[in-house]
Amino acid sequence: MLVPINIYVNGEEYSLEVKPNRVLLDVLREDIGYTGTKKGCGLGKCGACTVLLDGRPVHSCLILAPQVDGKEITTIEGIAGEKPHVLQNAFVEKGAVQCGFCTPGMINTAKALLDTNPDPDEAEIKFAIAGNLCRCTGYNQIVSAIKTCAQSSSAGSTEKRVESNE
Amino acid sequence: MRIRSFDYWEAPSLDEALTELTHSGTDVKVIAGGTDLVLNMKKKIILPPRIISLHNLKELDFIKIQDSKIRIGALSRHADLAANPLLRSHFPILCEAVGLIGSWQIRNVGTIGGNICNASPAADSVPALLVLDAQVILASKLAEKKIPLDAFFTGPGESVLEPDQILKEIVIKVPEHPSAGCYLKLRRRKAVDVSLAGVAFQAQTGTDGKTLTKVGIALGGVAPTSIRVAEAEAILVGLSLGEARAKISDCAKMTVQAASPIDDVRATASYRRTIIDAFFRQSARNVLNTLSERGGK
Repeated sequence: MLVPINIYVNGEEYSLEVKPNRVLLDVLREDIGYTGTKKGCGLGKCGACTVLLDGRPVHSCLILAPQVDGKEITTIEGIAGEKPHVLQNAFVEKGAVQCGFCTPGMINTAKALLDTNPDPDEAEIKFAIAGNLCRCTGYNQIVSAIKTCAQSSSAGSTEKRVESNE
Repeated sequence: MRIRSFDYWEAPSLDEALTELTHSGTDVKVIAGGTDLVLNMKKKIILPPRIISLHNLKELDFIKIQDSKIRIGALSRHADLAANPLLRSHFPILCEAVGLIGSWQIRNVGTIGGNICNASPAADSVPALLVLDAQVILASKLAEKKIPLDAFFTGPGESVLEPDQILKEIVIKVPEHPSAGCYLKLRRRKAVDVSLAGVAFQAQTGTDGKTLTKVGIALGGVAPTSIRVAEAEAILVGLSLGEARAKISDCAKMTVQAASPIDDVRATASYRRTIIDAFFRQSARNVLNTLSERGGK
């Protein structure tokens, strides 16, 4: 059995026919080539496969492909514009990337957090990324990278940009 | 981890889903968010030949107040419940409990109807709903039935839900007088972990703001289903807040006795009992203190 679906990935529309026993993660990686999304545990525990579904972080390994028909999906490939996203720069600056396997999922979750709460404190950041495991255990750098993107942070915020313009 | 092939049908409306279910046998599984079902299909614990998906039924995705009752559509997602202003003002205990489910990623997909129908003894939403005296509406093609949630579960993973029925809605009466609640849950990891033991405590005072007129105590993860501890509830009803505080130890003993926890890889039964005792005391104190601050003594 094949089910027709229309999905919008990083702004592009894809019309596909999928077997219903396939999950979103496999469709993204195998059918349309967005391999930035990583497959970790496959059981909704590690968060490596996190993508944004209509703007909200979800485990793409636990969602049946037919259930995303008509939905908007953002993968790590869709986070940057012409230049890298501020989060991506912050992760590089703070050394928040070690082996890199958790990074796409981390960035997606962090992006969703900042979209809904532009000024999260440390506790809110930790609560938001609780479903994303980093097996290099580089959490301190990850949390501080996300913190620098918060509105009230002195680094990277609009205030600083204004100051430097002066 | 391949999932075995199955046929898939997406229901365009609840009515059509119910019609389909009357013609289907027991080999059909209904899917909402799928955070439990897809996982169990990957682990080959459940191998349904056919799946009926409800996930797009907007008619079951609502949270509203009507005739002093809050009605929650079964497809409401945990993240939406946790953030809902109506629920946060009337039933913060429910927001607390569903806010602790899985991870943000799970809460964005999993639904409250699915959490109930999955009938896990450790479901986080259930103890909170039990102490709120929640009722559930079970719909079939022929009839709709409203039953107390307390009468829904029959065992681990088992409930009274018939193969042709869909849990459609959860109904909770808005308390007329000041009320407060607290849900505490133990787990090994701070997220994405099954509850080892959960304690829900909810209490309401009368017009005077000082006498307990209603008390709900429920436990999760420590019996074949989530359970209420009616004996301890009965002791506290009618007492002043101060008198109730003096009875916390007695009630803690009863609550521990009501549980029948098992030894498993996650924790021993005796550890779970110790935790229930501690969580009961802590949640009862929290709730009685909150009620005191609101005017009682």
